[in-house]
Amino acid sequence: MAVIAWIIVALGLVAGAVALAARHAASIAPARVVPPGEKVPVTSTQRLVGWSLALGLIPAVAAGALVAWFGPDVYWDDDAVRLTVTGLVLASMFILVAPQALASLWAAHDDRRIDERDRGILAQAPTSQAAAMLVVLAIWVVALTESFRGEAGIPRVYMYLAFWSYLLVSLLAWNVGALLGYRRT
Amino acid sequence: MAKAEIRNQIRRLRFEANEMTQQALADSVGCTRQTIIVLEQGRYVPSLALAMRIARTFGRTVEEVFELVDDA
Repeated sequence: MAVIAWIIVALGLVAGAVALAARHAASIAPARVVPPGEKVPVTSTQRLVGWSLALGLIPAVAAGALVAWFGPDVYWDDDAVRLTVTGLVLASMFILVAPQALASLWAAHDDRRIDERDRGILAQAPTSQAAAMLVVLAIWVVALTESFRGEAGIPRVYMYLAFWSYLLVSLLAWNVGALLGYRRT
Repeated sequence: MAKAEIRNQIRRLRFEANEMTQQALADSVGCTRQTIIVLEQGRYVPSLALAMRIARTFGRTVEEVFELVDDA
């Protein structure tokens, strides 16, 4: 099976796992009780993480779509494609890492936009991060092993693609883990 | 060790305090309104510092606001 197909399957599995985790978190969390006509307020930190995830996902998906459309060989040989993908990945990373940076800044300055519960939820977000990275690592290993079995080596382009995917999945999973934490508590 | 649960009287005390709003309590103790909501629902156990600030806001002791309940 082509490596790109493996990647798509892998991303689908990760997305499915995250969706299952979110449903489980929602099912074990009791319904929030607020006065009639009012909504549960979203904290500043929660809003920041949510927007970061939503906006960071766009360039990440665009980068993946470009690689899937042009193929790894064209990505590797065509400077325009490669630099565009790299730019999209970097943009996604900057957006996704923003909540961590801002939360640290707010916490350091005792800013009221982050309280102890926010800090506790953000502190447990790396649990999701580690799990997601292990899943992606395992999928890359299997995909590359099976795709290039019997060949002399694995093209270097896949090392770069794997590296970028680790970084993006890591940051995406941190944001998802934080949002799941707000659902759980 | 038996499983312990922390219950609180925050909602009742808030209404007894001239129907203090959740936002007013949150502003007073330095947390978000969402934290007050989950505290009242018993879904979040505050730190000692936050618990003491809440108790001080109501003019009560921590033990009057929070109760440790052990499952027998």
